[in-house]
Amino acid sequence: MSVISLFFHAGLVVQLIMLILLAASVLSWVLIFQRAFALKRDAQELDEFESHFWSGVDLNELYREVPADNPQGAAHIFRSGFREFNRLLPKSRSHNAVLEGVERSMRVSVSREEERLTTHLAILAIISSSAVYVGLFGTVWGILGTFQALGGAQQVSLGTIAPAIAEALIATAMGLFAAIPANIGYNRLTHKADKLMVRMENFAEEFHAFLHRNLQNRSAGENT
Amino acid sequence: MARHDRRVGYTLPTVLAVLLHVGVIGLTVFRWPQSDPIETSNSVVQAELISMETATDQAQQATEAQPRAQQGPEREQPEPEATQDDAAEEVARQQADAAEQAAQQAQEAAQRRAEQAKEVAAQQLQERQAREAEAQQKAEAEAKQKAAAEARQKAEAEAKQKAEAEAKKQAEAEAKKQAEAEAKKQAEAEAKKKAEAEAKQKAEAEAKQKAEAEAKKKAEAEAKKKAEAEAKKKAEAEAKKKAEAEAAAKKKAEAEAAAKKKAEADRKRAAEAAAAASQDAFGDEITNEAESIANARQAQEASNGFMNLVRRAVEQSWSRPQNAASGLVTIVRVQLLPTGELLNATVSSSSGDPGFDRSAVQAVERAAPFTEMSKLPPEARQKFRSFNLRFNPEDVR
Repeated sequence: MSVISLFFHAGLVVQLIMLILLAASVLSWVLIFQRAFALKRDAQELDEFESHFWSGVDLNELYREVPADNPQGAAHIFRSGFREFNRLLPKSRSHNAVLEGVERSMRVSVSREEERLTTHLAILAIISSSAVYVGLFGTVWGILGTFQALGGAQQVSLGTIAPAIAEALIATAMGLFAAIPANIGYNRLTHKADKLMVRMENFAEEFHAFLHRNLQNRSAGENT
Repeated sequence: MARHDRRVGYTLPTVLAVLLHVGVIGLTVFRWPQSDPIETSNSVVQAELISMETATDQAQQATEAQPRAQQGPEREQPEPEATQDDAAEEVARQQADAAEQAAQQAQEAAQRRAEQAKEVAAQQLQERQAREAEAQQKAEAEAKQKAAAEARQKAEAEAKQKAEAEAKKQAEAEAKKQAEAEAKKQAEAEAKKKAEAEAKQKAEAEAKQKAEAEAKKKAEAEAKKKAEAEAKKKAEAEAKKKAEAEAAAKKKAEAEAAAKKKAEADRKRAAEAAAAASQDAFGDEITNEAESIANARQAQEASNGFMNLVRRAVEQSWSRPQNAASGLVTIVRVQLLPTGELLNATVSSSSGDPGFDRSAVQAVERAAPFTEMSKLPPEARQKFRSFNLRFNPEDVR
C-alpha cells in the first residue's frame, strides 16, 4: 500500500486537496531554495562591501564604483545616503538639516532592502500555517464519505473501515508534509533576513556617524 | 565588488524542489529490501482434540475416525495392512453415527483402492473375466439343470470337441473372446439344431433373466462387501479359475450344449448386461468413494475452523497474570454441550502456578458459549464435545 495507490483510491475532493497540497509543497520548497540562495548571496555582498568600505577607500571613488541602476544591500544604503549628503551639503547651512536628510534617505533605502529580503517569506508563512488545516479538511471529508458508505454496508469490521480511513488520512499526511518544511524554512529564513537587516541598519548608523564626523571636521576646519 | 548578476533566479530552486519531491515520492514507492519480521506464532492457546477415556464410545470413535479420515485420501499406495483391515471391521460394526460412517467409507475406499492398485492390470482383467465367467457358469448351470438330460444326450460328442477348444481359450482368459467364440460356436451349433433351440428358447430366456438378476445382485453385493469379501472373491475367482482349467471342460461342454440352443441375440444381451452391471457397480463404488472422501475433507475443514474460532475466542478473553513466570504451560480440558455451552472446564495438566491455571480456566469460561458449534454438522459436533486447550504464554511476543 504505497502513497501513490492511496492517492488514486481516494475520492475526488480528497484528490484535489492533495494536489493543492502537493503544489503548495513544491512552491514552498522553490521559495525556500530561492530565498536561501538570495540571502546567502546578500550576506556575502554585505561582507564584501563592508570590508571594502572600511578599507579606507575614498568615498567619492566608492560612490562611482557602486552601480547607479538599482544597487542592492549595503551599497544601496550607501549610495542613497551619500547622494543625499552631496546634494544637501552645498545648499544647506545647517549640518543638522544635512544629516537629517541623509538619515531619512538611508531609512527609506533600509526599509526597501528589508522589503526585498523578506520577499515571498509571507507565502511560506501562509503555507506553513494553512497546509495542515487543508490536509485536515481533506481527511475529514474522506472520513465523512467513509462513514456514509459504512452506513449502507451490512457488516462493519475493521477490515472495511481501515483502508478508507487510511485513504482519508493521507490528506493530513500531505498537509504535514507541506507544512513542516515551510514552517522550518520560514523561521530560518526570517531569522537570516533579520540578521541581515540588523547588519544593514548598523551599517547605516555607522555611515551616518561617519558623515556626521566628516561634517564636524569640516565645520571645525572652517572655524579655524 | 559590485555584481550585476545579483538577482537569484527561480529556475534552479524550481528544479531542486521538483527533484526533491520526485525523490520523496520515489522513496515511498520504492520498497526497501526490508527484513521480514520473524513470524512468531502469536497463538497463545493451542487446542487439540482428545479421546476421553470416560466418555461415551461415540466420542472415542469420532476421535478415532478422524485421523483415519485424514489418512484416507493419502493412502493411495498399494500397501494393504492387515491391522487396518481389522480396525476397519471394528469401525464398520460400530456404525453409530454418520461421521463415523463417512470416515469408514473413506477407509473402505482407501482399502479398496489399495487392493485395486495392488492388483496388476492383468489380475484385474482376470477377475473381471472370472466374474463374467462365473455369471455365465451359474446361468449355464441352471440352464443345464433344466435341459441337462436333453443337452447331454444330443450334444455330447460335439460338445467335447468344442469344449477342448473352449478350454484352451479359457486358459487365454478373455471374456469377450470367449463370448465371441461361444457365439460362433453357437451359430454353428444353431445351424444344426434350430429345431430344438426354438422349443427351449423360452426356458433359456427365463433362465438368462434370472442370471442377469443374479449378476446384478451379486454386483451390488460386491459393492457393499468389504475388503475381506473382495479378497475372498478374488481367492474364489482364482480358485475357480484353476478349477476352471480342469472342470471347465465338462462344465463348458454341458453349458455350451445348453447355450447353443439360445438365440444369439439373447446370449449377447445377457453377457453385455452382466458386464454392464458389474461396470456400473464399479463406477458407483468410485463415486461413493469420491463422495465419502469429500465429506471427510469437508468435516475436517469445518472442525479446523471451529477449533481456530475457539482458540481465538479463548485467547482474547485470556488475561494472563502479570507476575506469571515464563515457561508455564497449562492444559485445560473443555467439555461442551452440543449447543456450544460450556459444560465443564478443568485443569488436566497444571502448570504448577495455581493463579495461572485459574486464569486459563477463567479464560475458557469467559469465552463460552461457543455458539458457532450449532452451525457445525451434527456428526462434527460430536468431535468437540471434549477437547484440550493448551495455554502457553511463551508464544506471546
